[in-house]
Amino acid sequence: MAKVRDGDPEKLGLLYERYKRPLLGFFVGLVRDKELGEDLVQNTFMRILKYKHLFRGDGDFRTWMFHIARNVKNDHFRKNKVAHEKVENWENKIRDEGNLMLDWQHDDDQRMLAIAMDKLPQDKREILLLSKYQEKRYKEIGEILGCTEGTVKVKVFRALQDLKAIYHQVEKMM
Amino acid sequence: MNKNQIDELIAKYNEGLADPSEMLQLEHMIESGDVELTHLRELSKFDENIDKFGEPMASKSLDNRFYDMLSRETSKAKQFDFSSWFNFQSWGPKLVVTMVLVVVGFIGGTVLQKNTGGGEVKELAQEVSGLKEMIMISMLEKESATDRLKAVSLSEEIQGPSKKVTEALFKTLNADPSVNVRLAALDALHNYAKSPAVREGLVRSIAQQDSPLVQVALAELMVSMQEKSSVNELKKILAQRSTPKEVKQRIEESIKVLI
Repeated sequence: MAKVRDGDPEKLGLLYERYKRPLLGFFVGLVRDKELGEDLVQNTFMRILKYKHLFRGDGDFRTWMFHIARNVKNDHFRKNKVAHEKVENWENKIRDEGNLMLDWQHDDDQRMLAIAMDKLPQDKREILLLSKYQEKRYKEIGEILGCTEGTVKVKVFRALQDLKAIYHQVEKMM
Repeated sequence: MNKNQIDELIAKYNEGLADPSEMLQLEHMIESGDVELTHLRELSKFDENIDKFGEPMASKSLDNRFYDMLSRETSKAKQFDFSSWFNFQSWGPKLVVTMVLVVVGFIGGTVLQKNTGGGEVKELAQEVSGLKEMIMISMLEKESATDRLKAVSLSEEIQGPSKKVTEALFKTLNADPSVNVRLAALDALHNYAKSPAVREGLVRSIAQQDSPLVQVALAELMVSMQEKSSVNELKKILAQRSTPKEVKQRIEESIKVLI
C-alpha cells in the first residue's frame, strides 16, 4: 500500500487480488446481495485510491481496508435508508430464497449455521464477520470499531451466544 | 477471582449451567482478558465453523470494473504533475546531484584553464565517473521502479564500469522485485559481456530467476554470446515443474543452438 500511496497505483492490483474475496464475503454477509456486495467492494477500492495519502503505514493494510469498508457500508445504508431488519418471526422465513450464504456451504451443519447467521441482527453479524476476516485480531477490530480489545471480545461473545441460540432452534426445526 | 474459581466458572458455562449473574461475571472476565473465548468450548466451535464458511467468488464484471478504474488512475498518475515541481522531497536529491556536478564541472574547468595537461583531464574524468557510479548505486536502492530503471540506464554512461557497478547490476538482476528493472539490468550487463567475470555471473544468474521473461531473455543472451557453459544451468530451468511450457520450448531451442 505504501507503494500505491507513493505514486505507483498499479500495485493496488495486487492488493485487490489478495483481498477481493474476503471483502466480498464481508459485504455479502452483511447486505445479502452479491451484486450490491460487488458494488461495495468496488467503492471500497475507489476510496482506498482516493484517500491513499491517509495511509500512514504504521498499521496493517487489512485493518485500514476494513475501516474504509465499514464506512462505505454505513454510507450505503445512510443513502438508501435501509431499515435494519427485524429478527422476530424469522422462523417463518427460514427457507427464504434470500439467504445467499447457503449457496456456498458444503455440508448441512454449515448450511444451518448460515441460516442462523442470516437471522442475527446486522451489528452482531458484522462483529462475527470482522472477527473472521480480521483473523481474531481483536485489538485491530477495536481500532476499526473505535472501542477497546476487551469490548470487542465481549461483543463477539454476545454475538456467538445469540448465534448458538438461533442455531439450536434451527436444528430443532430441521 | 483466583484461577480455580475462573476454571470452575468456565466449566459451569461449558456445561450450560451458568446463571445470569455468572454470565455477567464471565463477560467481565472476557473483557479483562482473564478468560479467552477459546476456553468456551461450544462457542469456540461456532467461531471455528464461521471461519470455515465458504465465500462467494468475485465475478468477471467486478474484475473488469476494478481494472478499468485502476488503468484510469494509472494514466492520470503518469500525466505531468506540476505540483511535484514544488515538492522538495522529489527535487531535493536531484538538485543536490546537479549542484555537485556543477561544482565538479567548475573545478574541472578551472583546472583545465590553468593546465591543459592530460593527467588532470584523466583525473577529472575519473572523478565524474566515480560520481556517476555513486549516484547510480544509490538510485538502485530507491523504492520506485522508475528510479531504479533510470539508475540502470545511467550505468550505460559509465565508461569501463568498476566491480562495484557490475555487482550492483547483478544484485538488481537477481533480486529486484520488478521484472522490467531486472530486464534492464540484463541489457546493461550485456554491454560488459566481454568480461569473463560478467559472463560467469550471467550464467550463474540463470538458476536464480523465477520470471519466465527474464529466463527467456537470459537464454537468448547465452545464445548470442555462444556461452556453452550455460547449458547445465538452462537444463535446471527445464527440470523445474513450475517453468511454463512455452518457456521450456524456448529454452530447449536455445540449448539446441548452443550444443
